[in-house]
Amino acid sequence: MRAGSLEADSFEKRRWHHRHLEPLLLGLSFAFLALNAAALSLAQPDRDRSVWLIVAVWLTCAIVGSVLLRRTLAHCDPFIFPVTMFLSGWGLIIIERVAPNFATRQTIWLALAVILMVATAGFPRLIVLLRQYRYTLLFGGLALLLATIRFGSNPSGIDGAPALWLSLGDFYFQPSEPLKIMLVVFLASYLAEQYAVVRVEHAAFGKTPTPRVVGPVLLMWGLSVIVLVWQRDLGTAAIFFLVFLTLVYVASGQLRLLIGGSILALAAGAAAYILFGVVRLRVDAWLNPWLEADGRAYQIVQSLIAVASGGILGQGIGQGSPTYIPVIHSDFIFAALAEEWGLVGVITTLFCFALISMRGLRATVELRPFPALLGVGLSVLLAIQGFLIIGGVLKVVPLTGVTVPFMSYGGSSLITNFVLIGLMLRLSAGEQALAFPA
Amino acid sequence: MTPTPPDTQLVLLLFRLISGALLLGILAVLFIALWRDFRSAVEKTSVQRRIYGKLIEVIENDDGFQETAVSHPLLPLTSIGRAPTNTIPLDDDFASGEHALLALREGQWWLEDRKSRNGTTINELPIGDPVIVTDGDVIGVGNRRFRIHLE
Repeated sequence: MRAGSLEADSFEKRRWHHRHLEPLLLGLSFAFLALNAAALSLAQPDRDRSVWLIVAVWLTCAIVGSVLLRRTLAHCDPFIFPVTMFLSGWGLIIIERVAPNFATRQTIWLALAVILMVATAGFPRLIVLLRQYRYTLLFGGLALLLATIRFGSNPSGIDGAPALWLSLGDFYFQPSEPLKIMLVVFLASYLAEQYAVVRVEHAAFGKTPTPRVVGPVLLMWGLSVIVLVWQRDLGTAAIFFLVFLTLVYVASGQLRLLIGGSILALAAGAAAYILFGVVRLRVDAWLNPWLEADGRAYQIVQSLIAVASGGILGQGIGQGSPTYIPVIHSDFIFAALAEEWGLVGVITTLFCFALISMRGLRATVELRPFPALLGVGLSVLLAIQGFLIIGGVLKVVPLTGVTVPFMSYGGSSLITNFVLIGLMLRLSAGEQALAFPA
Repeated sequence: MTPTPPDTQLVLLLFRLISGALLLGILAVLFIALWRDFRSAVEKTSVQRRIYGKLIEVIENDDGFQETAVSHPLLPLTSIGRAPTNTIPLDDDFASGEHALLALREGQWWLEDRKSRNGTTINELPIGDPVIVTDGDVIGVGNRRFRIHLE
């Protein structure tokens, strides 16, 4: 094989994948969704037919997204888009099944999210602009955070519930969601700029981490602590810190930072356990939920029962009883999935999440520092968020109350994650597609 | 909720089985496609890493060129020069930082001088434009001579 044709060859393979793999995956997903819609109508005959509307909107989104992506970004990764669509379609069906009141809204959010994803992926200069305006992004993000701490509210209107939303009339959004991407962009561009210097310092001073790398770790730790103290938002704080720690580690290659950072995180966690009731409740319910199975640990116990009753093939859609779990459509959507689709469903979902992050990481291998670190940050963000909530529902880690990416109910979360996928697709199309000035 | 009639239950069971099968089908498609992608990546890397031959260092004596024990692998893009970033870095006062380039193009090996101070030679003749080299040719960079062995 000739050396010069290798590049063209791998592009040819990608084109083949787009022509065959993507339609195949989307087709199988559609068959799955349609089958489950039929089963739902059959199992619960009293239900209205809006589930078919959802499937139709999903199909339109999938086709339009696929065609537009192929037109604007022919060389992007062929796995990421169909798998994302599969997960979000499945999420919609589950929301329709467990909380029909929320399903229409979520369907509209999905349509918007796909449009935004295509726009993000089809904007060649975006990555360059993100790097240029990183401080604007950072301060914009911090302003959003402060605004939420000051003016935040909770759509449920319950007093004392965590106030993580900003409201505009009837419309609520959760600033911590876009904030995650903004901070990943900032940190990736900061570290990419410092990258060369960090390596030199590492060679010169040996193992002692210098302020250049310790600084951002402390900054992000401080930020996470602020989120934790003022908002009692354990999930967002944990995600912030874990993602940024990974990013700093990837950029510097210093294991000491990882160890030191973990100690800081544990210290903050221990302090939070002593000081805040919310955190103590979560950890106690994780260590032994059965002590208060119908009290404070009711949600997690119901979730465990739901998962256990799923068995291998699941109860079948509409035939289990996941609605015993409070707020099932948001944080605990994975428990509903486990109950009605069983082990097979759980394995498929986990594999899909792992696949998206893996493809995201794989795409960064041949990129320059900034896009590479950005890709690592986004992939790790998705992986950690998925792990924290799925692990929380399955009682592997304490419950942190974040959304399952693409599946849980929530407009901010869905849109943010689709924008993240848009960025990932742009990065996966290779260096040429990033439009860096030569 | 009213109890579902037996035939509906049968259909629902069937739907459950097909739904599970579809999930497994999606998993299988993903797995096979990933495997193919992985294979092609391995192929790409191994083509890039494949050794096409070697450059054996020679020294000049009365009978012509005498091969030494030192040899370097030949890659589709082999750069020669004093800079440590070259495929074959040379410690030679008469070699430039980026001195010469051997490249496989359209099935032929091309030798190219990268505007070095002292020039590159093929069989002791200085080259101007890139030239095609074949098995057995002696390439000269600075004070060093290499015989090309293609495989």
